[in-house]
Amino acid sequence: MSNSVISLKNVTMKFGGVTALNDVTFDVKQGEILGLIGPNGAGKTTVFNVITGVYRITSGDIVFDGKSLVGSKRYKITKRGVARTFQNIRLWGDMTALENVITATDTHKKSGLLSGLFGMPISRKEEKRDKARAQELLDFIGIGDYADRLAKNLPYGVQRRLEIARALGTNPKLVLLDEPAAGFNPSEKVELAATIRKIRDAGYTVLLIEHDMSLVMKVSDRVVVLDFGQKIADDAPSKVQDDPRVIEAYLGVPEDAS
Amino acid sequence: MIGNFLDQFWSLTFGGLSLGFIYILIALGYTMVYGVLRMINFANSEVFMVATFATIIIIRDVFNFTQTSEYATGFRLWLILGTALVASMVVAGVLSVLIELVAYRRLRRMNSGILAPLISAIGVSMVLAEAVRIMTDSRPVASPRAMEKSFLGKFFDADVRLDNTIIIVAAIILLVILLAFVNKTRLGKAIRAVSMNPSAAKLMGINIDGVVSITFLVGGLMTGAAGFFYVLKYENSSFSIGFELGIAAFTAAILGGIGNIKGAFYGGLALGLLETYASFFLGTQWKAVTVFVILVLVLYTRPNGLFGEAMTQSRA
Amino acid sequence: MINLRDKGADIWERSNRIERTFIALGFIALAASLPFFGGTFLNTPIADYESVLVYPVAMFVLMAIGLNIVIGKSGLLDLGYVAFFAIGAYTMGLLGTRTGLNTWEILPIGIAMAMFSGVILGVPALKLRGDYLAIITLGFGEIVRIVALNLETLGRSGGILNIPTPPPVFGIEYSFDSHRIYYWTLLIIILLAIWMVRRLAVRRAGRAWESIRQDEDAAELLGVPTFKYKVWAFVLGASVGGAAGVFYASKTLFIAPDNFTLQISILILACVVFGGMGNIWGVILGAVILGYLPDRIRFLSDARLLVFGLVLVIMMNLRPDGLLPRKKREKPLPKEAK
Repeated sequence: MSNSVISLKNVTMKFGGVTALNDVTFDVKQGEILGLIGPNGAGKTTVFNVITGVYRITSGDIVFDGKSLVGSKRYKITKRGVARTFQNIRLWGDMTALENVITATDTHKKSGLLSGLFGMPISRKEEKRDKARAQELLDFIGIGDYADRLAKNLPYGVQRRLEIARALGTNPKLVLLDEPAAGFNPSEKVELAATIRKIRDAGYTVLLIEHDMSLVMKVSDRVVVLDFGQKIADDAPSKVQDDPRVIEAYLGVPEDAS
Repeated sequence: MIGNFLDQFWSLTFGGLSLGFIYILIALGYTMVYGVLRMINFANSEVFMVATFATIIIIRDVFNFTQTSEYATGFRLWLILGTALVASMVVAGVLSVLIELVAYRRLRRMNSGILAPLISAIGVSMVLAEAVRIMTDSRPVASPRAMEKSFLGKFFDADVRLDNTIIIVAAIILLVILLAFVNKTRLGKAIRAVSMNPSAAKLMGINIDGVVSITFLVGGLMTGAAGFFYVLKYENSSFSIGFELGIAAFTAAILGGIGNIKGAFYGGLALGLLETYASFFLGTQWKAVTVFVILVLVLYTRPNGLFGEAMTQSRA
Repeated sequence: MINLRDKGADIWERSNRIERTFIALGFIALAASLPFFGGTFLNTPIADYESVLVYPVAMFVLMAIGLNIVIGKSGLLDLGYVAFFAIGAYTMGLLGTRTGLNTWEILPIGIAMAMFSGVILGVPALKLRGDYLAIITLGFGEIVRIVALNLETLGRSGGILNIPTPPPVFGIEYSFDSHRIYYWTLLIIILLAIWMVRRLAVRRAGRAWESIRQDEDAAELLGVPTFKYKVWAFVLGASVGGAAGVFYASKTLFIAPDNFTLQISILILACVVFGGMGNIWGVILGAVILGYLPDRIRFLSDARLLVFGLVLVIMMNLRPDGLLPRKKREKPLPKEAK
């Protein structure tokens, strides 16, 4: 059995009286693409938010790479190797595409403000290295030509891809993609599926939230289904598709049947 | 010291309460606009300053009072006070609406962030303060006393002064009217809708520009009333008064939790009392320092102010 | 409207290294020659022209550069910047009159004091919501002034008198009426500050600030230690303000709480926004204009601040991003052009 990159153990997240996640347990294994699906409001984005430290979980534990993430500062979680994209695109609009990615690569720089100020060799070396690395990532994700364009002026599809490149810039072990295909047309979705596989093949582990069922089923190695904050399925795509509980969650139960 | 304080406790408390109500009314000018626009209504302080002069002009020039005039009594007194109050409110309300038109509207439409409107509001403040400074020769202006500051009686050994009583009672009436307006009327509901979610309010067909104007008008009316009460209590004003009271009232709004009316109420009262008590113990020169230290402590323990409703959690 | 900033950047980017050196030297020479234009239309009525160049003009430029790190680069609204200026000035005043230390020895101490108070204020304040930072900094500015006004050691309202002038450097004497010497010294300090900011802006710190300004939550989630960089922005801004204060005290020889009112904070903020927040050249231009204008229009005597307020309103409505706004333009796409 392959190693887990991250394990959610009995994670519960309550907001006041509302339970957004209820005793959720699953893990993501090294080198897989795990699809996280569920109807609206099922708690998918909440899972991302508790992993990345936006919310602090009410109970349970989240173990990444052998150590708990709970209570760590957000930027430190990123530094340890978790990076994410946002459902509603949140690029730094006044920076170029390249600068967006370089800023992410700064996560692992040794040089800081003072070494930058005095132009120490380490700062220069790292600047040069990371600029090249950022361009590589843009090329890898297929938007290298847009490097010098301001993020806010990029076409929608390119912005979505830039979000992914920026997340990869932090050199993560685990990439969380939050609806990367939202608003894409079918041919763009096919391209994106290829890109996601390419990311996995490059050695990253991917946790994917996506509404488009056919995309998820095509690209995922395994699928976890959430409904009202609870995990109702965790299996291979083909099996999840036929799971009566999943169908029920998505289609609702006819009232007279219950 | 403590013994002295206890002796004077009630008289300090009365003074502090009436000052507190003045703060509440100015704070409303900040907090209502902040609620709707999420912007600091920087020029509100000068709206207050202009209102104090409106009151002085009514008493001195319209009713021809001088420092040596006899006090007005009976119907004439209430006519004078009523006229001065209404005039100050109207002047301040209209001025406030004009300020929104000049300093905010165009920038708001351009979606230019919060700093550009802030600077343009600072510009308006400078224009108002300087215009009044030039007209008053940079000197403070005393208001003739139209009303005898008689004592209504005693409350725990403390004299209950007529002016303080009028301020507290009238301010409470104004606040009740304001609450009724905001909670019961269509316009009031529109204001609340915009402050909760501007884009949704717009989609529901609410005229945002209209709501913003109304908000500035109402905030101005309240601030104008504060101008009248201030002159009633202190019987003078100067071109720089807006700055002093404005900062204090803005602090009060934040202390209570900016953006909601309840916050302005509690923040204003808390500040009025704290300031009065602190002046007693530490001397008036340290009161501003005390106030800010308290503000920092409060914000540190309760980031949304004493009575602020918790903002929704930060979302990613 | 034409974008002068883009025009300028265009010329700069098309120039080679030698041309750039010449452009830069040309601007420095122009700035350095300003004291010689006393007899021309630049002359200020009533106030001494060369003294206006030192304060407010050059001093405002320096402070605006410092405040721009805080507001323009990182998007933190600081309404009490004058506090750091005051702390620098009072450090100079106290140490200059009570110890044998001279201006150049006190300069690092004054900067350190300002940075230290930046940490003291910044660490609690920068954890709060952005809106509150404005009022807390504003309060801090007032507190520093009130403390100066009420402490015997700091001379109360009378302030501190007889602050020494800087000792000669390379045989150049600083006498209190030789304004141009002070001006040129300030010019050097300003160039140092510009160098510092430009250097930081293109490196990690600049990107961190920029990302914080645009979307702080996203920045933190992509590995930017936002709190640390916010405190750094605050402290660096404070250091520039402190340096300006030390030099100011050593120039005017007399400081009092009245020199450090909220109005100064507001004016410096206005310089930054008016000129073009985030773009150092815009900020400098803004500070030159707003520092110089009130003295140039002194013939309006009493109405000059009123006119100044009007100018602010009109300019902000016409150019909300300032005279020379931050980068809007993009390089052409060489690869796409193929």
